[in-house]
Amino acid sequence: MIELAYPLALISLLAIPLLLALHLLRPRRRRVLISSLALWQAALREREGSQGLRRLLHNLSLLLLLAAALVLGLALAGPQWLTRATEQADIVLVLDVSASMQARSGIGRTRFDQALDEAASIVDRLPPNARLLVMTSGRRALLRTGFEADRGVLRQALREIRPGDEAGRPREALALALSLIRGRSDARIYFVTDGAFEPEVDPGSPKVILRVVGTPARNVAITRFDLRQEHGVEDRFQVLLAVRNYTDAPLVVPASVTLEGRELFARTLTLAAKDEQTLVLALTGRALGQAIARIEPNDGLAADNRAFALLDAPEVLHVLLLSRNNVYLEAVLAALPDTDVVKRDTLGNDDIAQLARSFDVVVFDGITPPPLPPGNFLLLDTVAPALPFSAAGRVTQPDIVASGPSALMRNIDLSAVRIEAARRVAVDPRTPGLQRLFWSRETDLALALIDESRKLVYLGFDLAASNFPRQTAFPLFVSQSLAWLRPRGAERVSNHIAAGSVISLSLAAGESQAIVHTPSGKAHTLAANDGAALYDATATAGIYRYSAGNVTRHFAVSLNDARESDLNRRWSPREQHPKADAGSASARGFQPLWPYLLATALLLLALEWLVWARSRGNA
Amino acid sequence: MITRAATVTEREPVFDDAFLRKLEQLELLARKIFRGLLRGERITARRGRGIEFSDFRHYWPGDDFRHIDWNVYSRLDQLFLKLHASEEDVTLHLIVDTSASMAFGEPSKFDHARRLAAALGYIALNNLDRVAVSAFADGLGAGLPATKSRRHIARLLAFLAALPCAGVTRFGAALRDFAACTRSPGLVVVISDLLGVGEAREGIATLCYGGHDVVVIQLLAEAEIDPPLDGALQLVDAETADELEVTVDPELRLLYRRRLERELEAIEHFCRRRGVEYLRASTAIGFEDVLLKYLRQGAHLR
Repeated sequence: MIELAYPLALISLLAIPLLLALHLLRPRRRRVLISSLALWQAALREREGSQGLRRLLHNLSLLLLLAAALVLGLALAGPQWLTRATEQADIVLVLDVSASMQARSGIGRTRFDQALDEAASIVDRLPPNARLLVMTSGRRALLRTGFEADRGVLRQALREIRPGDEAGRPREALALALSLIRGRSDARIYFVTDGAFEPEVDPGSPKVILRVVGTPARNVAITRFDLRQEHGVEDRFQVLLAVRNYTDAPLVVPASVTLEGRELFARTLTLAAKDEQTLVLALTGRALGQAIARIEPNDGLAADNRAFALLDAPEVLHVLLLSRNNVYLEAVLAALPDTDVVKRDTLGNDDIAQLARSFDVVVFDGITPPPLPPGNFLLLDTVAPALPFSAAGRVTQPDIVASGPSALMRNIDLSAVRIEAARRVAVDPRTPGLQRLFWSRETDLALALIDESRKLVYLGFDLAASNFPRQTAFPLFVSQSLAWLRPRGAERVSNHIAAGSVISLSLAAGESQAIVHTPSGKAHTLAANDGAALYDATATAGIYRYSAGNVTRHFAVSLNDARESDLNRRWSPREQHPKADAGSASARGFQPLWPYLLATALLLLALEWLVWARSRGNA
Repeated sequence: MITRAATVTEREPVFDDAFLRKLEQLELLARKIFRGLLRGERITARRGRGIEFSDFRHYWPGDDFRHIDWNVYSRLDQLFLKLHASEEDVTLHLIVDTSASMAFGEPSKFDHARRLAAALGYIALNNLDRVAVSAFADGLGAGLPATKSRRHIARLLAFLAALPCAGVTRFGAALRDFAACTRSPGLVVVISDLLGVGEAREGIATLCYGGHDVVVIQLLAEAEIDPPLDGALQLVDAETADELEVTVDPELRLLYRRRLERELEAIEHFCRRRGVEYLRASTAIGFEDVLLKYLRQGAHLR
């Protein structure tokens, strides 16, 4: 790096325009009138290989003068070469917080403890004005600080970091770190890790300096755990459990599974070296509640000795059907599982806003609704006021010509549907959140609308005046409409995710927030949007509980990652870069450059004089 | 300040008494060589209504019946036309380059060209041939219509003496204009330096296509053949005012001369391929010597 002792001296560079002016005032070449330039130009081209070089040589004298002025100006500014400047570069410290970092050998310290020591050492040995950024590499890469020069802030950030039960993805973390220092040749990345992942994550950049910690550790792990209700059989369910021995010796490992504290089974597994056993158990009963699988080996990593799964009771969908008489619709609603239907002939004097809050979906079948409050609505052969589409007469025997790409239309075949008469609606196509479901040449026959507080599905004809209810598409359409209006999540499938993942929590319409309780009891409040909330603080394995309004539900978080449970080092560190070590800071020195610049300027001036003298002699 | 590669001295009368005396002597010399361009004496290659037999060809509808050879018809029962070589009155066209580059040389190429043109015209008029003069630079300039009488010699000299010397050479365009304006083919003598003229070949070819017998006299100044230049110079093109900064040294002068020789050889080669009479002359040689050399070649007479 070069610094200037007297930056103001750069004003002397103003001499360059003066030199240009003096150059222009020099005696010019003798002008000679000739009959034609063509032959001279041809002769010159023949002599000179390059016209550009020729032009350059013509102005050689001027160029030399300008170069001399530039060098003199720089010399006056007192440039100094700053030696041993590489330690001043910004540094990114990537700390591995994946589950394998919790491993320990015997009763020793964990790999993460060693990694923290190494990180603290890097911070301690930082040169005085260097900056460091701390980030962690788990399932996701997280920045823990910005580029920070304050050692206290950096040490505090390191103290707050804990390893998770998550599988590591160092490739993403290193890619992020490299992007943070892109274009900065003197920046470095320190990656403190146990190296227990595949070699292909190595980005191959010389800017990445590895600090590998930890010693070999033995491990036996639960690599898969799940349970599910058997399809079509209410009182039977299955448990899937896979256990793997990563050691080079056969082992006997006790294993057990409990459901809501009740032991489902307990047995001893005999595992050969590097062997994996998978158990699929069929059990009697209804699989509801929290399930925990445990193994009790004597190994170095506890995080993968437990796994969690759960099946919540299915959520009941409460539907208010406002209809005079519609056997088709009533039959379909009655056939839908976990759906509670309340039927009325009229709305009466009830407050529609109160009803919309009490029921998950309100169905208006041929009954004109009032202006719709926040909630979920299915409109059949009726149009509500103050919507982006309005009634505009009727059409007879409309043919369905096309259907839109909406999720509501998935697997719905309308080719055999015939309609006697339908409502004609005037639609504002620019309305955000409006989906066309299917339509005829004359009008839209089905629409879906989602705005800030409402969801509704509109079907523009009387079911009795069409053969739609007799088609297989009809129950599918109603089912998918209700699922879209009020999503309930997957049914009868264990609700669990990998540690470190982001989960989307389904909430009731109109809920603006959800509260998540971690396995350790800590509560996080989330803002909900469009009936869903995203939650990402899932680094710890266990059962999480979340509640929104009156509804409380759960999800399970487990490691369940065969690669992460392999504690062996698969990534061999490349050659280290001792010169780039942050701890190798030494005294800095300044090397003045002005004598060299002055000598260069004198040399340039001498050359210019020679060129000028030769040119004058020739003239 | 601009200097010239070869300074033109104070302008003197082009056609002074000494010149006129030379012309008279030249006319006597030329008469022995020059058989004249009189009607009937100069037989062109063009076939026409002359007396001398040239060839036969088949009759084509539209041909003049009077030229059908009835003798052949009676014997062969086929119609043949009998062709004769045309004997016609030929016009001598003198085309003089008046572009700015002609002002160079000692004497100047321009004066030399005008004297050559005057001498050729003088001899032709004395032999009762038609003589027309055209000037060209960036286009076809002033012209003297064809005249045939000795009485017009003074008019010819006055015309040549009044010609200006300026402009950029547009050789091809000028000769195309000339070929378009000239109704009957004749003997065309082009006097030019042909310097910096990329389209010289095109112009000469145009004249050949027009059926003219073409003679090209290329005049060069000694300063152009061996330029007396040295050192750092800014060369200025007399016609275009383009500038070129150059340091002239012996090597560059040698390259220039080689380039000039290649150009001259190329033009000469082109003329010979086209059947064009080509004569190259330096202004250092008197115009009368050039003229006699040309007349002795006699190539313009077919």
